[in-house]
Amino acid sequence: MQNVVRLFLVLACVAMPVAFAQAPLTAEPPPAAAADAAPPADTAAAPSDAVTPPPDTRGLDQEVQGLKKDVVDLNRELFVLEEELLFPANTQVAVFLSMDVGDFFALDSVTLKIDQKEVINYLYTPREVEALLKGGVHRLYLGNLKVGKHELVAFFSGKGPNDRDYKRGATLKFEKGIGAKYLELKINDRQRKQQPEFEVKDWE
Amino acid sequence: MQRLCLALAAVTFCAPAMADTPYPLKAHEAPDFALHAIAGGNVRLSEHRGDVVILSFWGSRCTPCRAQLEALNRTLATYRSAGLQVYGINVDDDQTRALAYAHGESVTFPLLLDPEKAVSRSYQVDNLPMTLLIDRNGVVRNVIRDYNAKSEDLFLQQLRALLNE
Repeated sequence: MQNVVRLFLVLACVAMPVAFAQAPLTAEPPPAAAADAAPPADTAAAPSDAVTPPPDTRGLDQEVQGLKKDVVDLNRELFVLEEELLFPANTQVAVFLSMDVGDFFALDSVTLKIDQKEVINYLYTPREVEALLKGGVHRLYLGNLKVGKHELVAFFSGKGPNDRDYKRGATLKFEKGIGAKYLELKINDRQRKQQPEFEVKDWE
Repeated sequence: MQRLCLALAAVTFCAPAMADTPYPLKAHEAPDFALHAIAGGNVRLSEHRGDVVILSFWGSRCTPCRAQLEALNRTLATYRSAGLQVYGINVDDDQTRALAYAHGESVTFPLLLDPEKAVSRSYQVDNLPMTLLIDRNGVVRNVIRDYNAKSEDLFLQQLRALLNE
């Protein structure tokens, strides 16, 4: 339902200014039509007038570009508003995933359980892993939790050292307060052990 | 075994009828998915916006499916440079045969596994082979439910039109 409202708003914003932008163009006859309507005597007297300059569309183009930017801005605001409504700060829990170096672990998928209930199983594509290795942070899960104690368990699957199948888990018991809760799953390389390391960090 | 025979019989006899029924996802946005590939990394459909994508749902027991995968392999070799991506989505319960097929055949495009049938359900697969054409904006433009020489010609015409858009 919210998506429908968003779509309607965006379409309305696009359609209205375009309609206004077209109105002045249709109000005046096009130059070619005006030339056709002129008496033949005039065209004979001034042949240079018959060659009409091409209409200047730069202004219209800039206007369209401005409208596109407005639509993108509006869409972003609506997206933020939607998230605020669906995930209010007092119940919001967000889980992020980051990865460092990645010499000892090639990430394939992450399964996340909160209070023993699977909330997401996410497959990472090579492009996404590449983005994580460049410093990107992926928001793996966004949901709602009641105030109180909870337990998060994350299972990481992929290829470990020597290209072997590798699956490890990480657990965190955390307390959800009144504000939003941010948790981070971190995958690091532990050089001393030549093994990957998985930890869950509570950002409060 | 009995259930399997019934299912195969249903697919065989119902195929001509299925070909005429309208596909509900046609002209709609293709549902996004991420699946494991038999070889190579995972594949997410939404990463291929801007390319024309062919999805072919297949089963290892289905003979026309194999013929179609080979035809798609030839099509990909011709149109890859024009921005074509092809994915075969296997719907077998037992992946052993799919893996054997993948290792035995020289199909150059990724063969994906859908053991839980979540993607097959979202695409409402009702016949094998079933092939979808998805345009550069991620919209399902056409579906082919039965594979034969005539449908392949039509399919290639539609594909060329999409690649030219």
